[in-house]
Amino acid sequence: MIKAKGVSLRFPNGTVAINNIDLQVEPGDMVYVIGPSGSGKTSLLKLFMGIEYPTIGSLEVLGQQMDKGQTSRIRQLRTSIGPVFQEFKLIKGRTVAENVMLGMRFLDLPQGQLKENAHDALAKVGLEHKASSLVENLSWGESQRVAIARAVARKPLLILADEPTGNLDKDNAINILELFKSFIDQKTSVIITTHATHLIDTEKHCKLIQMNKGTLSWERLG
Amino acid sequence: MKLFSSNAGYFFKEVKTMIRLNLFSNSLTIFSTGLIFFILAMIISGWWVSSRVVDVVQKEAEINVYLDDEILKNNTAVIQMVESIKGIEGVQAARVVDQDEAYNRMVEILGKEASVLSKFDDNPFSSFVELKINLQEIDPVLEKLTHLVGVEHVRDNREVLERLRNIAEALRVVGILVVAAVGISTTVIISHIIRLGISNNKEQINTLRLLGAPELFIAFPFLLEGLLLTIGGGILAVSLATFSISYLYVQMAGPLPFIPLPPVKELVFGMGIVVMSLSAVLGFVGSLLGLVSVNNH
Ligand SMILES: Nc1ncnc2c1ncn2[C@@H]1O[C@H](COP(=O)(O)OP(=O)(O)O)[C@@H](O)[C@H]1O
Ligand SMILES: [Mg+2]
Repeated sequence: MIKAKGVSLRFPNGTVAINNIDLQVEPGDMVYVIGPSGSGKTSLLKLFMGIEYPTIGSLEVLGQQMDKGQTSRIRQLRTSIGPVFQEFKLIKGRTVAENVMLGMRFLDLPQGQLKENAHDALAKVGLEHKASSLVENLSWGESQRVAIARAVARKPLLILADEPTGNLDKDNAINILELFKSFIDQKTSVIITTHATHLIDTEKHCKLIQMNKGTLSWERLG
Repeated sequence: MKLFSSNAGYFFKEVKTMIRLNLFSNSLTIFSTGLIFFILAMIISGWWVSSRVVDVVQKEAEINVYLDDEILKNNTAVIQMVESIKGIEGVQAARVVDQDEAYNRMVEILGKEASVLSKFDDNPFSSFVELKINLQEIDPVLEKLTHLVGVEHVRDNREVLERLRNIAEALRVVGILVVAAVGISTTVIISHIIRLGISNNKEQINTLRLLGAPELFIAFPFLLEGLLLTIGGGILAVSLATFSISYLYVQMAGPLPFIPLPPVKELVFGMGIVVMSLSAVLGFVGSLLGLVSVNNH
């Protein structure tokens, strides 16, 4: 699903955000990426989404080589990814339901499926009752859950969630992690970055990756 | 195609949101394109009317030959005259229009105003010979007619026709210039408002790209916005022009009853089709230009 070999990411200003990483993620894997702020967690997810490209090394996501010059194929690849951005990236002036549906409008779904998927996803994050609220009227925690609903409603092959529980209370956080886990049974891979190590479920089949200053400092396979 | 049909409702809602969030610029755009299209509509109508009038007058290119009184008194002399006129090369037919017929024709032309004729005690019209000719040979025919003995004077409508032709030609040239000016200014206005819309929605566009939306899906609401704005301007212009044309027709019907104006419905319909299709095309081109100019940055 993801194959990274000797991948580094160096920003134009000289910051090396990712430094020589090797990584393999298989279908149905649940991967937690932990590490202090600034250790490169977000940068890693950006590489997987094709927002940034490796400056050294080779990276393959869902069979697609992640290189500059492949932009239209990478755009297509993104339709198979469910991204949850650290800053949510919800679209203002639109309702919660519209935001969730917007992630699916250009997928090849039957018309009725759109509403049904959105409704299901909102129910799973506990926000059915907010479906017709404008997103700018939501709290941080609610916005985060809308972002999660948008990502999972599309039924992606790969979920990339950047600190998805960062703004949630414990009950909600556990509920969201359970939601993500429900996807790995359908062979969807889930990669979650988080600070909240205490919530990580160790008994389930999951990988744990510790990042430090752009390098993979250790890795524990579940 | 499915991308568009299944998302039609969404696209229109997006356009509505974009227009609502930028109501002032968008209203101004509809208004200014409406004004531009109105000028265009009036020029096109003027050109059409004048060229139609030229067509009609040209078909009726008529030559009336008035004979000396001496000859008119003598029927056989008149018949002889008609025969010799027929003999001129280029003349297709010639017949005598007598006083009564000339009078009746004028009654028909004047219509409601015909009552003025009753102010005359005698029939004020004289009989004349009416000719049908080959238009190309109008000059040599006129030349020969004036040299014919017994011809008092010859009346033709070349001068009127010439003047009308000049007007039609001038309107055609002005029309072309105006179409060019309208084309340029509309595309500039629309491409600007589309650029504005795109920069106002930068974040949203970026998010859609991150979600994997195709570029066409992202661009389509902007295309639709440009199209709806110019079509709005077009509708405004056509309504305004329809109103103005109807008013002008009423004004002209009184003092200028001879002018064979095309039916007002036909004129308004034709003008409406031209203006609306032009507005749609320009809206499309303008927004496309706006999109392309942003993409290249
Ligand atoms: N666009 C950028 N340009 C330059 N440096 C960046 C950019 N984005 C992130 N960085 C730097 O890269 C490092 C890793 O950042 P990030 O991946 O956001 O870490 P994390 O998500 O673990 O907090 C940090 O030092 C950050 O300042
Ligand atoms: Mg981060």
